[in-house]
Amino acid sequence: MRYGPYVFLAAFFALAVSWFGFVLTPQVQLGRPVQETNTVMKADLYPQERPGEARQGLEIYRANGCAYCHSQQVQQKGTLVNVVLTDAGKKTMDVAKVLNDEHLGSFSGPGVAAGLPKTLLQNATMDQAVALQSLLKNAGAKTDLHLVPIGSDIERGWGKRRTVAQDFAADATVMPGSLRVGPDLANVGERLPDMNWQLMHLYAPRSVVKDSPMPSYAFLFERRKIGSQPLADALALPKEFAPAEGYEIVPKPEAKALVAYLQSLRSDTPLYEAPLTPPPAPKTNAPAK
Amino acid sequence: MNSATNQPASGAPREGAKDPTVPIWLIVVLFLLVFWGGVYFDEHSGWFEPQVYSPYVSAEQLKTFQVAGGPDIMDQGRQIYERTCITCHGPAAAGQPGTFPPLAGSDWVNEKEPGRMIRLVLQGFSGPGLKVNGQPFNTSSAMVPWNSLSDDDLAAVITYVRGNKDWKNTAPAVTPEQVHAIRAKIAAAHPLSFTPAELEAINPAE
Repeated sequence: MRYGPYVFLAAFFALAVSWFGFVLTPQVQLGRPVQETNTVMKADLYPQERPGEARQGLEIYRANGCAYCHSQQVQQKGTLVNVVLTDAGKKTMDVAKVLNDEHLGSFSGPGVAAGLPKTLLQNATMDQAVALQSLLKNAGAKTDLHLVPIGSDIERGWGKRRTVAQDFAADATVMPGSLRVGPDLANVGERLPDMNWQLMHLYAPRSVVKDSPMPSYAFLFERRKIGSQPLADALALPKEFAPAEGYEIVPKPEAKALVAYLQSLRSDTPLYEAPLTPPPAPKTNAPAK
Repeated sequence: MNSATNQPASGAPREGAKDPTVPIWLIVVLFLLVFWGGVYFDEHSGWFEPQVYSPYVSAEQLKTFQVAGGPDIMDQGRQIYERTCITCHGPAAAGQPGTFPPLAGSDWVNEKEPGRMIRLVLQGFSGPGLKVNGQPFNTSSAMVPWNSLSDDDLAAVITYVRGNKDWKNTAPAVTPEQVHAIRAKIAAAHPLSFTPAELEAINPAE
């Protein structure tokens, strides 16, 4: 073993380099406890743990291979900006002049202040929006910038913004999926919130979506004889999918858990890494007098 | 490929064998590819910033997209109030006589300078002799320190309480910078909760 020390050093060096590359570097990059947090809605806790039933549903989702045909990854092509005037200030003549100079419609002094908040510029780039904002700021007006993510997935209503790693941070098993035989489910909780629709779709997909290629998950349901009166849980199926007279279809706990999981899937929370402007919150819940 | 670049193949070249050197155009193509790869990396890597996803290209660009326009500071403060403060101080901030002091119309809340209120929310509050609007309060129920909240969140909730017109509070807003300054000042100096006497001794503008 004349070369023993060299062999040892070479092996040590190779392992050390790969440890730096595969363990330490990702830990430094992604494992930091403190990242920049979202600045649009700071008070939102996100992601939150899924409720218990939804967590069981994740296991059902996994066991039945839903992820083979459904992804949970919304893609985004870009982010456009709307400039919204919230306060015209006192020098409305100056504001009107800026808007007329920028060819954003013809305004006459006090008319600018009517119907606030109003959108002045739509679907602009960030640079254009910031330029207009600073012009208006010099004229004494206040503006908000509203961020609008765009992309084909977002146009389909599959999500409000792109999916990022943080969306999966509360799940022990992540189900991002890789194939889209069916639609993306990242935002299905907001898109299809109706529990009965989801249950009927699981039992007989073609009872609600005519040409659906999805297999029936009837084994998550129980076919039982109607007792003294039908159960409240029983599915209200159309005639061609309904069971024989005197029988009813009742979801097992597995089906309910799966639907609870689907309802917990949402991708509409603004994040630092995926900013968007949420629709204005309803002004309710005011402190009691 | 590279091993064959400059050296002839082992042994003497056979008669009629092709020139073993790599043609110059291949090297040019290789370097062009490397250059294109560098440009592509520059545009699409995000420089391995963990929070940069496409369509954003860099941390600086992502930062420019962090604009206000969502709920305002009072909304944010209300959410935090309803998550943390409401349990003791109540939905109308009326408190509980003798146990939990009211925030609505309280002389502690409505001080012009927020120094005392920031301190007591950050570090907690207990000890004898607390009087709010002249009413004595039982100090066995101490206020929990809320230093786990961020500067932004604390500023929002304090602003919400101080400026809540429904509660007849009219004190000016608090900025995250003010909270940050006081947090830095008391972090080392004052680990335990404040007593009323201590707070009354300090200058609320600092």
